[in-house]
Amino acid sequence: MLKYIGKRLVQSIFTLFVIITIVFSLLRLMPEEGYLGAAAEKMTEAQQEIYLTNLGLRDPLIVQLGNFYQGLFQGDLGKSITYRTDVPVVDIIQDKMMYSILFGLGAVALSLLVGVPLGILMAQFKGRWLDRLGTGYIVFVVAVPAMVYFLMIQMYVTGWFGWPMLFDEYNPISFILPLISMALGPIASYAMWMRRYMVDELNKDYIKLARAKGVKERTIMFRHVLRNAFIPMAQYLPATILFTITGSIYIESLYSIPGMGGLLVDAIQRQDNQVVQGLVIFFSSLGIIGLILGDLLMAIVDPRIKLGKGDSVR
Amino acid sequence: MESTLSIQNLVIKFKLRGQTLTAIRDISLDLYKGESLAIVGESGSGKSVLVKSIMGLLDKNGYIDSGKILYNGHDLAKFKTEKDWLKIRGKQIAMVTQDPMTSLNPLKTVGKQIEESVVLHQNLKGKEAYEKTLQLLRDVGIHEVERRYKQYPHEFSGGMRQRIVIAIAVACNPDVLICDEPTTALDVTIQAQILQLLTNLQQKYGLSTIYITHDLGVVAKVADRIAVMYAGDIIEVGKTDEVFFNAKHPYTWALISSLPQLGEKGEELYSIKGTPPNLFKEIKGDAFAPRNQYALKIDFVERPPFFKVSDTHFARTWLLDLKAPKVEPPKVLQAFFEEGRRYANE
Ligand SMILES: Nc1ncnc2c1ncn2[C@@H]1O[C@H](COP(=O)(O)OP(=O)(O)O)[C@@H](O)[C@H]1O
Ligand SMILES: [Mg+2]
Repeated sequence: MLKYIGKRLVQSIFTLFVIITIVFSLLRLMPEEGYLGAAAEKMTEAQQEIYLTNLGLRDPLIVQLGNFYQGLFQGDLGKSITYRTDVPVVDIIQDKMMYSILFGLGAVALSLLVGVPLGILMAQFKGRWLDRLGTGYIVFVVAVPAMVYFLMIQMYVTGWFGWPMLFDEYNPISFILPLISMALGPIASYAMWMRRYMVDELNKDYIKLARAKGVKERTIMFRHVLRNAFIPMAQYLPATILFTITGSIYIESLYSIPGMGGLLVDAIQRQDNQVVQGLVIFFSSLGIIGLILGDLLMAIVDPRIKLGKGDSVR
Repeated sequence: MESTLSIQNLVIKFKLRGQTLTAIRDISLDLYKGESLAIVGESGSGKSVLVKSIMGLLDKNGYIDSGKILYNGHDLAKFKTEKDWLKIRGKQIAMVTQDPMTSLNPLKTVGKQIEESVVLHQNLKGKEAYEKTLQLLRDVGIHEVERRYKQYPHEFSGGMRQRIVIAIAVACNPDVLICDEPTTALDVTIQAQILQLLTNLQQKYGLSTIYITHDLGVVAKVADRIAVMYAGDIIEVGKTDEVFFNAKHPYTWALISSLPQLGEKGEELYSIKGTPPNLFKEIKGDAFAPRNQYALKIDFVERPPFFKVSDTHFARTWLLDLKAPKVEPPKVLQAFFEEGRRYANE
C-alpha cells in the first residue's frame, strides 16, 4: 500500500513538472505587450527592450525556466502586471480562493448528501415513480441550459422569500441560493452515476448468490452493492470536487461573488501573462491532487489494489 | 422412497417484449431424501430456470404459470413475498452457482462471506461464528484457514473460489443443495476434485442434492438418478445405470453417443443434428421429433406419456408404445449398453 502511494506521488510530481514546464514555455510565445501593461504606449521601443531585459525575458529559455522554478519553490508566482499591478499573483489567487472554496465545498457536500442517496433510492426502486421522478430531474438539468434555471432561481426565489439578490458576506441567508444553484448539476450527476453503478452491481452473479443464501434485499443493497457501486465513483469524486471548488463563472457573476470563477477570463482579456500562468499552474496542480486523491480513495475501498500488482483495476 | 421436494406439473413462462416464452413445459419430478439427482440437457433446455424457480429466484419477467412445488407441506409455487422465501433460501435449500470467478463479492473477505451464512442460518455470533467459519473452510479442503479467512476472492484460484462458494452453501445448513453446473467453469483436473468434495459433503451432512450439468460424463460420477431434459420437458428419468445402459428415448441415445468415450479415435465426435425448438411457439407432440431419425408420425401430433420401463425408470417416447415398430438403438450404443450391463452385474 505504502509503496503504491509512493509510486503514485512520484508519478504525479513528475507529471506536474512536465505540465508546468509546458505552460511556462507556451506563455513565452504570447505577445510581449502582456508584460508591459499600461506603460506600453508611453515607452519607446528601446525602453521596452530594457524593461523586458530587466524582467529577465531576454535570458535564454532554460535560464528563465530555472529562475521561474526558484521562485516557485519559494511560493512566488511573480507579480501581476495589468490585473492588479504589482500585487503578487499568489495573493490575488489567495483572496479569491477563500470564497470559491467556501462555496465549492458547500456545494459538493450538498450534492453528495442529496445526489448519492437519490441515486441509491432510484436504483432500489428502479422503474417505479421515484426513479422516474429522479430521471426527470436529471434530464431537466442536463437538457435545459444552466443559465436559465440559475436566473429563474435568482429572480423568483429571492422575490418569494424576500432574500437579497446579491451575495453579501455578512448575511448568511445570501449563501443559500448560490449554493443550491451550484449543487443542482452535481446532484444530477451523482444521482445518475450512483444509480447506474448500483444497477450494474445488482445484476452481478455475487448478488444472485447472496440472494440464494437468504440475505434480505435491503441488506444486500447496503452490505454488498453500495460499496461495490462506490468504487467507480471513488476514482472521479475528488477530481469533480476540485472542479466544483475552482468556481462557477455563471453563478459567481450572477450573485457578485468575488471568487475564482471569472479570474482566468479577466486575466486573459487583460493579457496579464503572469496571472494566467499562475492560475494555470494552480488549476493543474489541483487537478493532479484530485487524481491522486481519487487513486488513494480507490486503494482504500478496493482490496484488489493493495497487492500492488497493477496500478489500476481498469 | 420419501421425497423431500416434489415438483408437479410445473409450467414456467417468460414475458419478453410482448411475447411469451414457455421455458418449463409441464414437468413433474421428485427429489428423494438423501439422494443425488442429476438433471442433464443441452444448454438452453431450462435446467437453470427449473432450479431457480425452486428458490424464488426467477428473473423478474418470469413466472410460474401453473403447477406445484411441494416442500415440507408448503407449495413454493404460491410464495409471493420476500418474507416467505427467506424461510426457504439458504435455510432449507442452498445453491452452488456456476462461475466462481464472479459469484463472490470482490470487496469482502471470503471469511466474512461464509460467516454471513453462518450468522443467518446457524444462530451463532462473534467468536462462535468465527470458529464455525474456520471449521467450514477446513471442511471444503482449504489450508491455513486463519490466514485464508482474511483474504479476498481475488487471492484465490478458480477451484479454490468454488470451494468457498460451496462452503457458503453448506454454511446455511440446508436440507437440499442445488449445484448448477458447479464444475463447468473449471479446469478438467479441478473438476474431479470439486465433484469429490461435493460427494463427501453430501454424505457428511446428509444432503439431498440436485446436480445440473450438460455433461453426461460428470453425472456418472456423482448421481444416483438422472433426469434428462429437452426443451423444457423431462423426457427420461431413472437410476443412473438405467439411463446410461438402458436408455429408451432417442434424445438420450444421442446424448450418450456424443460422449467422448464412445468416439472412435481420430473421428469427429458425434453431435446432434438440427436445433432445439423455438420456445416462443407452442410445441406439439414430442419436442425432439424434428431432429429424431426414429420419429414416428404420432411424435409430431401428440405428446408421449411417460412409459414405465421399470419401477424407477420412465421415458417419454412413443417408441415404447405396444403398437410402435421395434426400433434398436444405434450400433455403437448397443455395444456400450452390453458392456455397461455386464459391468453392473459383476
Ligand atoms: N429472463 C429470461 N427471459 C426470457 N427467457 C429466458 C429468461 N431466462 C431464461 N430464459 C430462456 O429459458 C430457456 C432456458 O434457459 P436456462 O434454464 O438458462 O437453460 P439451461 O438449461 O442452459 O440452464 C432458454 O431458452 C432461455 O432463453
Ligand atoms: Mg444454466
